[in-house]
Amino acid sequence: MVSPPEIRRAVVIEDDPDIRGLLVRVLAKQGFDVTEAAAGLPGVEEVRRRQPDLVTLDLNLPDLDGLEVCKLLREFSDAFIVMLTARADELDKLTGLDNGADEYLSKPFSPRELQSRINALFRRRPSPAADSAARSELQRATEVQQSLLPQEDIRIDGYDVAGLFRPSRSVGGDFYDWYQTDDGLHLTFADAMGKGMGAALIAATVRAVMRSTGLRHDLDTAFSTASQAIAADLDSSNSFVTLFHARLDAASGKVSYVDAGHGLALHVKPGGEAHRLPAGGPPVGAWAGSSWPSASLELEPGDSLVVVSDGVLDVFDTVEDFSAAVRRATQGGSSAQAASSAILALAPAETAEDDVTVVVVRRLPKDTAA
Amino acid sequence: MEFSYEVRDSYAEVKADGRLNMVSAPKLREFVTDVIAGGSNRIVVNLENTAFMDSSGLGALIGCLKAARQAGGDLRIAAVQPQVKMVLQLTSMDKVLTAYGTAEEAFSND
Repeated sequence: MVSPPEIRRAVVIEDDPDIRGLLVRVLAKQGFDVTEAAAGLPGVEEVRRRQPDLVTLDLNLPDLDGLEVCKLLREFSDAFIVMLTARADELDKLTGLDNGADEYLSKPFSPRELQSRINALFRRRPSPAADSAARSELQRATEVQQSLLPQEDIRIDGYDVAGLFRPSRSVGGDFYDWYQTDDGLHLTFADAMGKGMGAALIAATVRAVMRSTGLRHDLDTAFSTASQAIAADLDSSNSFVTLFHARLDAASGKVSYVDAGHGLALHVKPGGEAHRLPAGGPPVGAWAGSSWPSASLELEPGDSLVVVSDGVLDVFDTVEDFSAAVRRATQGGSSAQAASSAILALAPAETAEDDVTVVVVRRLPKDTAA
Repeated sequence: MEFSYEVRDSYAEVKADGRLNMVSAPKLREFVTDVIAGGSNRIVVNLENTAFMDSSGLGALIGCLKAARQAGGDLRIAAVQPQVKMVLQLTSMDKVLTAYGTAEEAFSND
Protein backbone atom coordinates (compact mmCIF):
# COMPACT_ATOMS: atom_id res chain seq x y z
CA MET A 1 0.00 0.00 0.00
CA VAL A 2 1.20 3.52 -0.68
CA SER A 3 1.79 5.96 2.10
CA PRO A 4 -1.23 8.22 2.48
CA PRO A 5 -0.19 11.75 1.56
CA GLU A 6 -3.79 12.86 1.64
CA ILE A 7 -4.39 12.47 5.36
CA ARG A 8 -4.05 15.97 6.74
CA ARG A 9 -2.90 16.51 10.29
CA ALA A 10 -3.76 19.41 12.55
CA VAL A 11 -2.58 20.50 15.99
CA VAL A 12 -4.85 22.61 18.20
CA ILE A 13 -3.00 24.80 20.75
CA GLU A 14 -5.61 26.26 23.06
CA ASP A 15 -5.89 26.48 26.86
CA ASP A 16 -9.67 26.70 27.19
CA PRO A 17 -10.86 23.08 27.25
CA ASP A 18 -14.28 23.85 25.77
CA ILE A 19 -12.94 25.82 22.82
CA ARG A 20 -10.20 23.24 22.37
CA GLY A 21 -12.81 20.50 22.20
CA LEU A 22 -14.82 22.46 19.67
CA LEU A 23 -11.78 23.10 17.47
CA VAL A 24 -10.83 19.43 17.57
CA ARG A 25 -14.36 18.44 16.58
CA VAL A 26 -14.61 20.95 13.75
CA LEU A 27 -11.25 19.95 12.30
CA ALA A 28 -11.91 16.24 12.68
CA LYS A 29 -15.16 16.75 10.81
CA GLN A 30 -13.13 18.30 8.01
CA GLY A 31 -11.09 15.14 7.85
CA PHE A 32 -8.04 16.23 9.81
CA ASP A 33 -6.28 13.85 12.11
CA VAL A 34 -6.20 16.16 15.11
CA THR A 35 -4.07 16.29 18.27
CA GLU A 36 -4.10 19.01 20.90
CA ALA A 37 -2.02 20.90 23.43
CA ALA A 38 -3.20 23.11 26.31
CA ALA A 39 -0.20 25.44 26.41
CA GLY A 40 2.49 26.97 24.21
CA LEU A 41 5.54 24.84 24.90
CA PRO A 42 3.75 21.49 24.76
CA GLY A 43 2.15 22.83 21.58
CA VAL A 44 5.53 23.49 19.99
CA GLU A 45 6.63 19.97 20.91
CA GLU A 46 3.44 18.50 19.48
CA VAL A 47 3.97 20.33 16.18
CA ARG A 48 7.57 19.12 16.06
CA ARG A 49 6.42 15.55 16.65
CA ARG A 50 3.41 15.51 14.34
CA GLN A 51 4.56 17.80 11.54
CA PRO A 52 1.00 18.89 10.84
CA ASP A 53 -0.41 20.69 7.81
CA LEU A 54 -2.40 23.07 10.00
CA VAL A 55 -2.01 24.63 13.46
CA THR A 56 -4.64 26.63 15.31
CA LEU A 57 -3.00 28.84 17.88
CA ASP A 58 -4.61 30.80 20.70
CA LEU A 59 -3.01 34.21 21.26
CA ASN A 60 -3.37 34.11 25.05
CA LEU A 61 -1.75 30.99 26.45
CA PRO A 62 -0.79 30.37 30.08
CA ASP A 63 2.96 29.96 29.48
CA LEU A 64 3.98 31.78 26.31
CA ASP A 65 2.49 34.56 24.24
CA GLY A 66 0.86 33.19 21.06
CA LEU A 67 3.07 35.41 18.91
CA GLU A 68 6.12 33.95 20.62
CA VAL A 69 4.85 30.43 19.93
CA CYS A 70 4.22 31.36 16.33
CA LYS A 71 7.82 32.53 15.95
CA LEU A 72 9.12 29.28 17.45
CA LEU A 73 6.94 27.24 15.12
CA ARG A 74 8.15 29.11 12.07
CA GLU A 75 11.71 28.03 12.82
CA PHE A 76 10.92 24.50 11.75
CA SER A 77 7.37 24.25 10.43
CA ASP A 78 5.65 25.65 7.37
CA ALA A 79 2.23 24.44 8.41
CA PHE A 80 -0.65 26.84 7.93
CA ILE A 81 -1.09 28.73 11.20
CA VAL A 82 -4.50 30.11 12.11
CA MET A 83 -4.33 32.46 15.07
CA LEU A 84 -7.31 32.86 17.37
CA THR A 85 -7.88 35.79 19.66
CA ALA A 86 -10.66 36.70 22.07
CA ARG A 87 -10.14 40.39 21.51
CA ALA A 88 -11.53 41.68 18.27
CA ASP A 89 -9.59 44.95 18.64
CA GLU A 90 -6.31 43.05 18.49
CA LEU A 91 -7.21 41.68 15.11
CA ASP A 92 -6.43 44.79 13.10
CA LYS A 93 -3.04 45.23 14.74
CA LEU A 94 -2.13 41.61 14.22
CA THR A 95 -3.07 41.35 10.58
CA GLY A 96 -0.84 44.32 9.82
CA LEU A 97 2.20 42.56 11.23
CA ASP A 98 4.21 39.91 9.57
CA ASN A 99 4.41 37.49 12.44
CA GLY A 100 4.25 34.24 10.57
CA ALA A 101 0.58 33.41 10.85
CA ASP A 102 -1.52 32.73 7.74
CA GLU A 103 -4.95 33.62 9.03
CA TYR A 104 -6.58 35.33 12.01
CA LEU A 105 -9.92 34.71 13.59
CA SER A 106 -11.57 36.39 16.54
CA LYS A 107 -13.51 34.48 19.18
CA PRO A 108 -16.30 33.72 19.29
CA PHE A 109 -16.12 32.23 15.84
CA SER A 110 -18.62 30.03 14.06
CA PRO A 111 -17.43 26.55 13.05
CA ARG A 112 -18.58 27.34 9.53
CA GLU A 113 -16.38 30.41 9.35
CA LEU A 114 -13.39 28.47 10.60
CA GLN A 115 -14.03 25.76 8.03
CA SER A 116 -14.27 28.18 5.14
CA ARG A 117 -11.11 30.05 6.18
CA ILE A 118 -9.20 26.77 6.36
CA ASN A 119 -10.54 25.62 3.03
CA ALA A 120 -9.45 28.91 1.50
CA LEU A 121 -5.93 28.44 2.88
CA PHE A 122 -5.65 24.97 1.40
CA ARG A 123 -7.04 26.15 -1.92
CA ARG A 124 -4.46 28.91 -2.15
CA ARG A 125 -1.57 26.53 -2.17
CA PRO A 126 -1.29 22.81 -1.72
CA SER A 127 -0.52 21.56 1.73
CA PRO A 128 3.16 22.24 2.44
CA ALA A 129 3.53 18.95 4.27
CA ALA A 130 2.56 16.93 1.21
CA ASP A 131 5.90 16.19 -0.33
CA SER A 132 6.38 16.36 -4.06
CA ALA A 133 7.22 12.70 -4.55
CA ALA A 134 3.98 11.73 -2.89
CA ARG A 135 2.18 14.26 -5.05
CA SER A 136 3.38 12.77 -8.30
CA GLU A 137 2.35 9.35 -7.02
CA LEU A 138 -1.03 10.89 -6.33
CA GLN A 139 -1.09 12.35 -9.80
CA ARG A 140 -0.48 8.95 -11.37
CA ALA A 141 -3.22 7.44 -9.23
CA THR A 142 -5.54 10.20 -10.41
CA GLU A 143 -4.75 9.35 -14.02
CA VAL A 144 -5.46 5.68 -13.45
CA GLN A 145 -8.75 6.53 -11.83
CA GLN A 146 -9.83 8.96 -14.54
CA SER A 147 -9.05 6.37 -17.21
CA LEU A 148 -11.61 4.00 -15.68
CA LEU A 149 -14.59 6.21 -16.42
CA PRO A 150 -16.61 5.34 -19.52
CA GLN A 151 -15.86 7.36 -22.62
CA GLU A 152 -19.08 6.63 -24.46
CA ASP A 153 -22.44 8.22 -23.76
CA ILE A 154 -25.46 6.02 -23.38
CA ARG A 155 -28.33 6.60 -25.83
CA ILE A 156 -31.27 4.33 -25.28
CA ASP A 157 -34.75 5.22 -26.50
CA GLY A 158 -37.00 6.09 -23.62
CA TYR A 159 -34.15 6.51 -21.13
CA ASP A 160 -31.93 9.30 -19.89
CA VAL A 161 -28.64 8.15 -18.38
CA ALA A 162 -25.94 10.28 -16.76
CA GLY A 163 -22.98 9.79 -14.44
CA LEU A 164 -20.69 12.20 -12.65
CA PHE A 165 -17.45 11.71 -10.81
CA ARG A 166 -15.68 14.29 -8.72
CA PRO A 167 -12.27 13.27 -7.40
CA SER A 168 -11.12 14.39 -3.99
CA ARG A 169 -7.69 15.75 -3.22
CA SER A 170 -6.87 12.24 -2.23
CA VAL A 171 -7.59 9.55 -4.78
CA GLY A 172 -10.18 7.05 -3.71
CA GLY A 173 -11.16 3.77 -5.28
CA ASP A 174 -14.47 4.90 -6.77
CA PHE A 175 -15.45 4.37 -10.36
CA TYR A 176 -18.44 3.63 -12.54
CA ASP A 177 -18.58 1.95 -15.90
CA TRP A 178 -21.32 1.32 -18.43
CA TYR A 179 -21.91 0.10 -21.93
CA GLN A 180 -24.88 -0.47 -24.15
CA THR A 181 -26.02 -3.98 -25.02
CA ASP A 182 -28.58 -5.32 -27.48
CA ASP A 183 -31.16 -5.34 -24.69
CA GLY A 184 -30.22 -2.12 -22.94
CA LEU A 185 -27.41 -1.37 -20.55
CA HIS A 186 -24.83 -2.90 -18.23
CA LEU A 187 -23.75 -0.75 -15.32
CA THR A 188 -20.99 -1.29 -12.74
CA PHE A 189 -20.46 0.95 -9.75
CA ALA A 190 -17.60 0.15 -7.38
CA ASP A 191 -15.56 1.49 -4.49
CA ALA A 192 -12.28 -0.15 -3.54
CA MET A 193 -11.16 0.07 0.08
CA GLY A 194 -8.61 2.72 0.94
CA LYS A 195 -7.08 5.45 -1.13
CA GLY A 196 -4.19 6.24 -3.42
CA MET A 197 -2.54 4.10 -6.05
CA GLY A 198 -3.44 0.83 -4.32
CA ALA A 199 -7.16 1.56 -4.45
CA ALA A 200 -6.93 2.88 -8.03
CA LEU A 201 -5.21 -0.29 -9.24
CA ILE A 202 -7.76 -2.53 -7.56
CA ALA A 203 -10.50 -0.47 -9.19
CA ALA A 204 -8.84 -0.98 -12.58
CA THR A 205 -8.79 -4.75 -12.07
CA VAL A 206 -12.43 -4.80 -11.01
CA ARG A 207 -13.44 -2.81 -14.08
CA ALA A 208 -11.65 -5.19 -16.42
CA VAL A 209 -13.12 -8.28 -14.77
CA MET A 210 -16.65 -6.86 -14.76
CA ARG A 211 -16.39 -5.89 -18.43
CA SER A 212 -15.44 -9.46 -19.30
CA THR A 213 -18.52 -10.84 -17.53
CA GLY A 214 -20.80 -8.98 -19.90
CA LEU A 215 -20.50 -11.88 -22.31
CA ARG A 216 -22.27 -14.21 -19.92
CA HIS A 217 -25.97 -14.24 -20.25
CA ASP A 218 -26.94 -15.20 -16.75
CA LEU A 219 -26.34 -12.51 -14.13
CA ASP A 220 -25.83 -14.86 -11.16
CA THR A 221 -23.26 -16.96 -12.98
CA ALA A 222 -21.58 -13.87 -14.36
CA PHE A 223 -21.29 -12.26 -10.95
CA SER A 224 -20.09 -15.32 -9.11
CA THR A 225 -17.39 -15.91 -11.73
CA ALA A 226 -16.34 -12.26 -11.56
CA SER A 227 -16.34 -12.11 -7.78
CA GLN A 228 -14.11 -15.20 -7.58
CA ALA A 229 -11.60 -13.63 -9.95
CA ILE A 230 -11.64 -10.35 -8.05
CA ALA A 231 -11.46 -11.98 -4.61
CA ALA A 232 -8.42 -14.00 -5.67
CA ASP A 233 -6.72 -10.76 -6.66
CA LEU A 234 -7.74 -8.99 -3.47
CA ASP A 235 -6.67 -11.75 -1.14
CA SER A 236 -3.01 -10.82 -1.36
CA SER A 237 -3.67 -7.15 -0.66
CA ASN A 238 -6.02 -7.64 2.31
CA SER A 239 -8.46 -5.37 0.63
CA PHE A 240 -12.05 -5.49 -0.56
CA VAL A 241 -14.36 -3.72 -2.94
CA THR A 242 -18.02 -2.79 -2.75
CA LEU A 243 -19.73 -3.48 -6.02
CA PHE A 244 -23.12 -2.75 -7.54
CA HIS A 245 -23.71 -4.33 -10.93
CA ALA A 246 -26.96 -3.92 -12.86
CA ARG A 247 -28.39 -4.96 -16.19
CA LEU A 248 -31.26 -3.04 -17.71
CA ASP A 249 -33.72 -4.56 -20.11
CA ALA A 250 -34.85 -1.38 -21.84
CA ALA A 251 -38.09 -2.70 -23.35
CA SER A 252 -39.58 -3.88 -20.07
CA GLY A 253 -37.78 -1.56 -17.66
CA LYS A 254 -36.59 -4.54 -15.65
CA VAL A 255 -33.33 -3.99 -13.81
CA SER A 256 -31.55 -7.10 -12.52
CA TYR A 257 -28.80 -6.32 -10.07
CA VAL A 258 -26.32 -7.66 -7.57
CA ASP A 259 -25.20 -5.57 -4.62
CA ALA A 260 -22.03 -6.64 -2.82
CA GLY A 261 -21.73 -4.46 0.26
CA HIS A 262 -22.57 -1.19 -1.46
CA GLY A 263 -26.06 -0.52 -0.12
CA LEU A 264 -26.35 2.96 -1.64
CA ALA A 265 -28.54 2.37 -4.68
CA LEU A 266 -32.05 3.84 -4.68
CA HIS A 267 -35.16 3.28 -6.72
CA VAL A 268 -36.81 6.70 -6.87
CA LYS A 269 -40.43 7.17 -7.93
CA PRO A 270 -41.48 10.55 -9.32
CA GLY A 271 -44.40 10.74 -6.91
CA GLY A 272 -42.67 10.46 -3.58
CA GLU A 273 -41.12 7.28 -2.30
CA ALA A 274 -37.53 6.19 -2.61
CA HIS A 275 -36.65 2.59 -1.93
CA ARG A 276 -33.07 1.91 -0.95
CA LEU A 277 -31.81 -1.40 -2.26
CA PRO A 278 -30.13 -3.27 0.59
CA ALA A 279 -26.87 -5.09 -0.11
CA GLY A 280 -27.26 -8.76 -0.93
CA GLY A 281 -24.00 -9.67 0.80
CA PRO A 282 -20.66 -8.30 2.02
CA PRO A 283 -18.13 -6.54 -0.20
CA VAL A 284 -16.21 -8.76 -2.62
CA GLY A 285 -12.99 -9.98 -1.02
CA ALA A 286 -14.15 -9.20 2.52
CA TRP A 287 -15.25 -12.63 3.62
CA ALA A 288 -14.61 -16.04 2.12
CA GLY A 289 -17.65 -18.11 1.21
CA SER A 290 -19.93 -15.14 0.63
CA SER A 291 -22.62 -15.29 -2.00
CA TRP A 292 -24.66 -12.57 -3.56
CA PRO A 293 -28.17 -13.38 -4.75
CA SER A 294 -29.35 -11.20 -7.59
CA ALA A 295 -32.53 -9.17 -7.25
CA SER A 296 -34.60 -7.09 -9.61
CA LEU A 297 -36.87 -4.09 -9.83
CA GLU A 298 -39.16 -2.56 -12.44
CA LEU A 299 -38.39 0.92 -13.66
CA GLU A 300 -41.73 2.40 -14.62
CA PRO A 301 -41.93 5.50 -16.80
CA GLY A 302 -40.67 8.43 -14.68
CA ASP A 303 -38.75 6.19 -12.24
CA SER A 304 -35.03 6.54 -11.64
CA LEU A 305 -32.33 4.16 -10.50
CA VAL A 306 -29.76 6.21 -8.59
CA VAL A 307 -26.42 4.85 -7.39
CA VAL A 308 -24.32 7.03 -5.12
CA SER A 309 -20.91 6.63 -3.48
CA ASP A 310 -20.29 6.84 0.26
CA GLY A 311 -18.62 10.23 -0.22
CA VAL A 312 -22.17 11.63 -0.29
CA LEU A 313 -23.33 9.49 2.62
CA ASP A 314 -20.55 10.90 4.84
CA VAL A 315 -22.26 14.30 4.82
CA PHE A 316 -25.37 12.89 6.53
CA ASP A 317 -25.90 11.52 10.02
CA THR A 318 -28.18 8.69 9.02
CA VAL A 319 -28.96 6.62 5.94
CA GLU A 320 -32.54 7.86 6.17
CA ASP A 321 -31.44 11.51 5.88
CA PHE A 322 -29.17 10.54 3.01
CA SER A 323 -31.96 8.71 1.16
CA ALA A 324 -34.39 11.59 1.61
CA ALA A 325 -31.89 14.15 0.29
CA VAL A 326 -30.97 12.00 -2.73
CA ARG A 327 -34.66 11.44 -3.44
CA ARG A 328 -35.37 15.18 -3.40
CA ALA A 329 -32.35 15.96 -5.58
CA THR A 330 -33.39 13.27 -8.05
CA GLN A 331 -36.99 14.38 -8.25
CA GLY A 332 -35.99 18.04 -8.61
CA GLY A 333 -33.67 17.42 -11.54
CA SER A 334 -35.26 17.92 -14.95
CA SER A 335 -32.79 15.50 -16.56
CA ALA A 336 -30.53 12.69 -15.41
CA GLN A 337 -27.60 15.09 -15.75
CA ALA A 338 -29.31 17.77 -13.65
CA ALA A 339 -30.23 15.18 -11.01
CA SER A 340 -26.63 13.93 -10.92
CA SER A 341 -25.32 17.46 -10.43
CA ALA A 342 -27.82 18.11 -7.64
CA ILE A 343 -26.75 14.92 -5.89
CA LEU A 344 -23.05 15.81 -6.22
CA ALA A 345 -23.84 19.20 -4.70
CA LEU A 346 -25.09 17.45 -1.54
CA ALA A 347 -21.42 16.89 -0.68
CA PRO A 348 -19.85 20.36 -1.06
CA ALA A 349 -16.49 20.15 -2.81
CA GLU A 350 -14.75 22.17 -0.07
CA THR A 351 -15.60 19.74 2.69
CA ALA A 352 -15.80 16.40 0.86
CA GLU A 353 -12.84 14.24 1.86
CA ASP A 354 -13.71 11.38 -0.40
CA ASP A 355 -14.44 11.01 -4.10
CA VAL A 356 -18.05 11.56 -4.97
CA THR A 357 -19.65 9.47 -7.67
CA VAL A 358 -23.24 9.24 -8.88
CA VAL A 359 -25.08 7.53 -11.71
CA VAL A 360 -28.72 8.20 -12.60
CA VAL A 361 -30.69 5.96 -14.96
CA ARG A 362 -34.08 7.54 -15.58
CA ARG A 363 -36.88 5.99 -17.59
CA LEU A 364 -38.55 8.88 -19.34
CA PRO A 365 -42.20 9.60 -18.56
CA LYS A 366 -44.58 8.33 -21.25
CA ASP A 367 -45.46 11.72 -22.75
CA THR A 368 -41.83 12.65 -23.38
CA ALA A 369 -40.65 9.19 -24.45
CA ALA A 370 -40.30 8.85 -28.18
CA MET B 1 -6.42 6.81 17.84
CA GLU B 2 -5.41 5.13 21.06
CA PHE B 3 -5.40 1.45 21.87
CA SER B 4 -5.37 -0.39 25.14
CA TYR B 5 -6.19 -3.89 26.25
CA GLU B 6 -7.01 -5.86 29.34
CA VAL B 7 -7.09 -9.62 29.74
CA ARG B 8 -10.37 -10.70 31.38
CA ASP B 9 -11.41 -14.15 32.62
CA SER B 10 -12.32 -15.63 29.27
CA TYR B 11 -11.32 -12.99 26.73
CA ALA B 12 -9.08 -10.02 26.03
CA GLU B 13 -10.77 -6.65 25.69
CA VAL B 14 -9.22 -4.24 23.22
CA LYS B 15 -10.31 -0.61 23.37
CA ALA B 16 -9.95 1.50 20.26
CA ASP B 17 -10.58 5.16 21.02
CA GLY B 18 -10.85 7.75 18.26
CA ARG B 19 -11.39 7.55 14.51
CA LEU B 20 -10.80 4.21 12.87
CA ASN B 21 -9.59 5.34 9.44
CA MET B 22 -6.82 4.80 6.95
CA VAL B 23 -4.23 6.12 9.40
CA SER B 24 -5.25 4.12 12.45
CA ALA B 25 -6.49 0.93 10.72
CA PRO B 26 -3.02 -0.66 10.27
CA LYS B 27 -2.21 0.18 13.89
CA LEU B 28 -5.32 -1.63 15.12
CA ARG B 29 -4.33 -4.68 13.10
CA GLU B 30 -0.86 -4.64 14.56
CA PHE B 31 -2.19 -4.13 18.06
CA VAL B 32 -4.68 -6.99 17.88
CA THR B 33 -2.15 -9.27 16.19
CA ASP B 34 0.18 -8.65 19.14
CA VAL B 35 -2.60 -9.45 21.61
CA ILE B 36 -3.30 -12.71 19.78
CA ALA B 37 0.41 -13.50 19.64
CA GLY B 38 0.45 -12.92 23.40
CA GLY B 39 -1.86 -15.91 23.85
CA SER B 40 -5.40 -14.50 23.73
CA ASN B 41 -7.52 -15.76 20.87
CA ARG B 42 -10.88 -14.61 22.19
CA ILE B 43 -10.97 -10.89 21.54
CA VAL B 44 -13.62 -8.27 22.18
CA VAL B 45 -13.01 -4.95 20.45
CA ASN B 46 -14.79 -2.33 22.53
CA LEU B 47 -15.92 0.41 20.12
CA GLU B 48 -17.57 2.57 22.75
CA ASN B 49 -15.31 5.49 21.90
CA THR B 50 -14.98 4.88 18.18
CA ALA B 51 -17.18 7.56 16.66
CA PHE B 52 -16.14 7.02 13.06
CA MET B 53 -15.00 4.14 10.89
CA ASP B 54 -14.22 4.21 7.16
CA SER B 55 -13.67 1.34 4.74
CA SER B 56 -10.05 0.92 5.83
CA GLY B 57 -11.23 0.65 9.43
CA LEU B 58 -13.74 -2.00 8.43
CA GLY B 59 -10.94 -3.79 6.59
CA ALA B 60 -8.86 -3.80 9.78
CA LEU B 61 -11.69 -5.32 11.84
CA ILE B 62 -12.17 -8.03 9.21
CA GLY B 63 -8.43 -8.72 9.20
CA CYS B 64 -8.42 -8.99 13.01
CA LEU B 65 -11.42 -11.35 12.91
CA LYS B 66 -9.62 -13.59 10.41
CA ALA B 67 -6.50 -13.60 12.60
CA ALA B 68 -8.49 -14.53 15.72
CA ARG B 69 -10.31 -17.36 13.91
CA GLN B 70 -7.01 -18.51 12.44
CA ALA B 71 -5.71 -18.79 16.00
CA GLY B 72 -8.70 -20.97 16.93
CA GLY B 73 -10.61 -18.20 18.64
CA ASP B 74 -13.04 -15.47 17.67
CA LEU B 75 -13.35 -11.71 17.60
CA ARG B 76 -16.48 -9.84 18.57
CA ILE B 77 -17.30 -6.19 18.75
CA ALA B 78 -19.13 -4.33 21.49
CA ALA B 79 -20.76 -0.96 22.22
CA VAL B 80 -20.98 -0.06 18.54
CA GLN B 81 -21.79 3.62 17.90
CA PRO B 82 -24.29 4.85 15.26
CA GLN B 83 -21.93 5.70 12.38
CA VAL B 84 -20.01 2.45 12.77
CA LYS B 85 -23.27 0.52 12.95
CA MET B 86 -24.41 2.22 9.75
CA VAL B 87 -21.26 1.15 7.90
CA LEU B 88 -21.62 -2.42 9.15
CA GLN B 89 -25.26 -2.59 8.04
CA LEU B 90 -24.76 -0.97 4.64
CA THR B 91 -21.94 -3.30 3.77
CA SER B 92 -23.85 -6.24 5.16
CA MET B 93 -20.85 -7.03 7.37
CA ASP B 94 -23.06 -6.97 10.47
CA LYS B 95 -23.77 -10.62 9.69
CA VAL B 96 -20.08 -11.48 9.96
CA LEU B 97 -18.94 -9.12 12.70
CA THR B 98 -21.31 -9.83 15.56
CA ALA B 99 -22.07 -6.80 17.71
CA TYR B 100 -22.85 -6.98 21.43
CA GLY B 101 -24.14 -4.32 23.77
CA THR B 102 -21.19 -4.54 26.13
CA ALA B 103 -17.82 -6.26 26.18
CA GLU B 104 -19.00 -8.50 29.06
CA GLU B 105 -21.88 -9.86 26.99
CA ALA B 106 -19.76 -10.77 23.98
CA PHE B 107 -18.49 -14.13 25.24
CA SER B 108 -20.98 -14.64 28.08
CA ASN B 109 -22.78 -17.53 26.41
CA ASP B 110 -19.85 -19.68 25.40
